[in-house]
Amino acid sequence: MPLTMAKTGESNIIKKVGGRGETKRFLEKLGFVTGGSVMVISAAGGNLIVNVKDSRVAIGTEMARKILV
Amino acid sequence: MKIALAGNPNSGKTTLFNALTGSNQFTGNWPGVTVEKKEGRYKGNKEVVITDLPGIYSLSPYTPEEVVARNYLIGERPDAILNIVDGTNLERNLYLTTQLLELGIPVVVAVNMTDILKKNGDLLYPDKLSRALGCEVVEISALKGAGIQKAADLVIAAATDMKLPEISHPFSKEADRIITDVSDRLTSVPEEQRRFFAVKLLEKDERIGSLLKQTPDVSAEIKKMEEFFDDDTESIITNERYGYISSIIKDCCVHNVKETLKISDKIDRVVTNRFLALPIFAVIMFAVYYVSVTTIGDILTGWTNDTLFGEWIVPGVSAGLQAIGCADWLRGLIADGIVGGVGAVLGFVPQMLVLFLFLAFLESCGYMARVAFIMDRIFRKFGLSGKSFIPMLIGSGCGVPGIMASRTIESDRDRKMTIMTTTFVPCGAKLPIIALIAGAFFGNAGWVAWSAYFVGILAIIGSGIILKKTKMFAGNPAPFVMELPAYHFPAAGSVLRSMWERGWSFMKKAGTIILLSAIVLWFLQGFGWINGQFTMLSGEQLNFSILAKIGGAIAWIFTPLGWTQGGAGWQMAVAAITGLIAKENVVTTFGILFGFAEVAEDGAEIWSALSGAMTAAAAYSFLVFNLLCAPCFAAMGAIRREMNNGKWFWFAIGYQTVLAYVVSLCIYQIGTFVTTGVFGIGTAVAFLLVLLLAFLLLRPQGENDMSKIMAKAKVSG
Repeated sequence: MPLTMAKTGESNIIKKVGGRGETKRFLEKLGFVTGGSVMVISAAGGNLIVNVKDSRVAIGTEMARKILV
Repeated sequence: MKIALAGNPNSGKTTLFNALTGSNQFTGNWPGVTVEKKEGRYKGNKEVVITDLPGIYSLSPYTPEEVVARNYLIGERPDAILNIVDGTNLERNLYLTTQLLELGIPVVVAVNMTDILKKNGDLLYPDKLSRALGCEVVEISALKGAGIQKAADLVIAAATDMKLPEISHPFSKEADRIITDVSDRLTSVPEEQRRFFAVKLLEKDERIGSLLKQTPDVSAEIKKMEEFFDDDTESIITNERYGYISSIIKDCCVHNVKETLKISDKIDRVVTNRFLALPIFAVIMFAVYYVSVTTIGDILTGWTNDTLFGEWIVPGVSAGLQAIGCADWLRGLIADGIVGGVGAVLGFVPQMLVLFLFLAFLESCGYMARVAFIMDRIFRKFGLSGKSFIPMLIGSGCGVPGIMASRTIESDRDRKMTIMTTTFVPCGAKLPIIALIAGAFFGNAGWVAWSAYFVGILAIIGSGIILKKTKMFAGNPAPFVMELPAYHFPAAGSVLRSMWERGWSFMKKAGTIILLSAIVLWFLQGFGWINGQFTMLSGEQLNFSILAKIGGAIAWIFTPLGWTQGGAGWQMAVAAITGLIAKENVVTTFGILFGFAEVAEDGAEIWSALSGAMTAAAAYSFLVFNLLCAPCFAAMGAIRREMNNGKWFWFAIGYQTVLAYVVSLCIYQIGTFVTTGVFGIGTAVAFLLVLLLAFLLLRPQGENDMSKIMAKAKVSG
C-alpha cells in the first residue's frame, strides 16, 4: 500500500520507491530505499512527517503516494 | 592550506564553521548562482582557509548547492575535507561521506551532537567507524564546543600528510566489478579519483563530461548493470551505498532500544496535529508580533526616536555646528536633512531587531520548518509552496532579508514566485504610512491596519493564482520534501548572529540610500526658480522648488488614482516617488512638503492639512498603491540579486507596479462611485479592470494549452 495509507506510529518496510527521475532519486538520497524501514509520525491534510533512517522528513502527498510499503 | 567543510543541511555545519573561524569570515556568492559562499581563516592558524560548502545530501548535480559543492571539490581540490555528520542521524549522513571518500582527497569525519547521543544512552564507537570508513573519525559537539580543536588538528595533519582515505566500502560483487571495469578505462584521470568518475559515469551524470578530459562510452556497462539489477543505475548505486552503510552501522553505533518515540516526535504529534497545528501557529505568531511591535518594540522605538535622536543627537549636532560657526544652510542640511532623515529610519531598528530575534529563535529551534510543513497544504492551492511562507514572515519586518530568505527554496519556479510576492506583506517601514492615513482620514480606526495586511495577503494569493496560469509559471509547485531538524534549544550565538545579519541589511540602507536621498531631497526642495532666477528658497516658497516642478510634471500619471487632483497634487506625486527610495520617506516627505520640519512617526501634525487635500477614497487608494507597488530601492536591489537576471528583475518590478496601479485605480473609482454616486469614464474603466482581474483569476489553467499542443505533436509525430 502507499505510505499515505500507513498507520501513524507504525513501522513499515519500504517495498518500492516509484516515480521517475528526479523525484525518485531525491527520495532515495534522503534514505527512502527498498528494504529500509519508515514510520509515519504525523499526518496533516495528506502531507506526512515520517521517520526514515533516524531523521524526520516532511513529504507532500504526491511523493508519499509513490512510496509503497 | 585549503580545508573544505562539507555536510548535510542541519548537521551543525554553520555552528562548527563559526566555532572554527570566529569573526574571520568573508561571505559572498558562488560564481553564477545565488548560493552563499562563506570562507574564513582558522582561529588557531591563519594560514588555513576554511571554505564552508553549502549543506548537501549528495554529490549529484540536481540542486545548485550540489553543483557548487562538487565543482569546488573537483575543480579546486582542497587539501582536505572536514566532513561533519549528525551523530543522531548517522545512516543518512554517511551517505554523503561514502561519496566524499571517493574523491581522492584526505577526509576527516567529525561526528557531531555526541552530547545528545550520550544523553539518549546511545553508544558510538569512533574507532570501529574509523576502520570501517578508512579515514579518521572524531567525536565533537559543535554547540558545546567540545572536540573542535582535535577535529581541526586532525584535518590539518591529514592535509599535511596527504593521507588519502582507503576506499574500503565494498558494494555487491557484480556492481563492484562493473565499476572497476569502467575505472580501468579512465586512464586520463589520476588513480585515486577514478572510482568517483566511474560511478558518476555509470549514474549517467550529464555534467560529469565537462570535468573530464575524455569521456569514455560506458553505455554497454550501464546496460549490463541495469539488466542484472533490474533498476536504473543511479538507484542501484544509491541502494548499494545505503546497503553498505547499514552493514557497518550496527557495529559502530548502538541505539538505546528502550526509547521508542523521541521527544521531538512527541512534540510533532501535537504541534503538527491536523486540528491543533493552525491554532498553535496563530497563538505563537500573535505573541511574537504583540511583543515585538506593541510592547517591547514600541518602548524601544519610542526611546530611540524621542530621546536618543529627538533630545540628544539632533539638538546636539545642531548646537555643535553652531558652536564651530557653520553656515546656516549647511547646518540645516546636516542636522535636519541628514541626521533627522536617517534617524527617522533608524527608529525602526530596535523594533525590527526584536522581531528578528524571535524569528531567528523559531528558525533555529526547528519550529519554522514545521510552519512550512503546516502552511504547505494551504499555499499549494494557489501555486506557492509552504517554504514561501518563511520569507513572507521575515518580510513583515523588512523586505530585504525576507527576499534573501527565499534562497532556501530549491525549485526555481517557486523561488521566483516567492521573490515577486514577498514584498506585498506590509514591512515595518510601511506601518507609518498606514498610521498616517488611518489617523488623517479614518479617525484612527483599527480596521485600516488590519485591511492593509489583508490587502497584502490577497495580493499574494491573487498573484499566485494569476501567475500560476501564465506560461512562465505553469505547473504545480515542486513536490514538498523537507528535512525537519530535531527540536533543540539553539545556541545564543547563532540566534544573535542571524538577528544581526538581517537587522544589518536594513541599517545599511539607512546609511547609504536613505542618506543620499535625504541630501538630494533637501536640495530639490530647498532650491528653485523665482522670477527666472535660480536661488535658495525660504520655507514658504516651496511651490517654486525643483521638487514642485518634478511633482507637477508627473502628477497626471496618478490623476486616475484620485490623489493628485486636489490642490496638493504635486506633493502626493513626490511622496510616492520618494516612497520608491524608501517607504519611510513618505511620511517625512509629507512633513517637509506641508511645512513642518519634523513630524511624529504617524505624522499627527499634518493630519488636517492632508485630509483637506484629498477624499477618503483617494487616501485609501494612495495607501494601497504604496503597499503594493515596487518596494524601496534596497529591496529592489535584493530582488535583482536574488533573481540574478535583468529580465526577471524588470518583470517582477513591472508586475508589482502595474498591479498596484490597477488595484488603486479600482479602489478610488469604485469608492468614489459608491460614496458620491457619480458615474464617469473612470468608473467604467475601473469596472472593466475588475472584470479583467476576475478573468485572470478564474480562467482555466494555462498549461492545458501546452498539454494539448504536446498531445497533438505526439499524434502527428
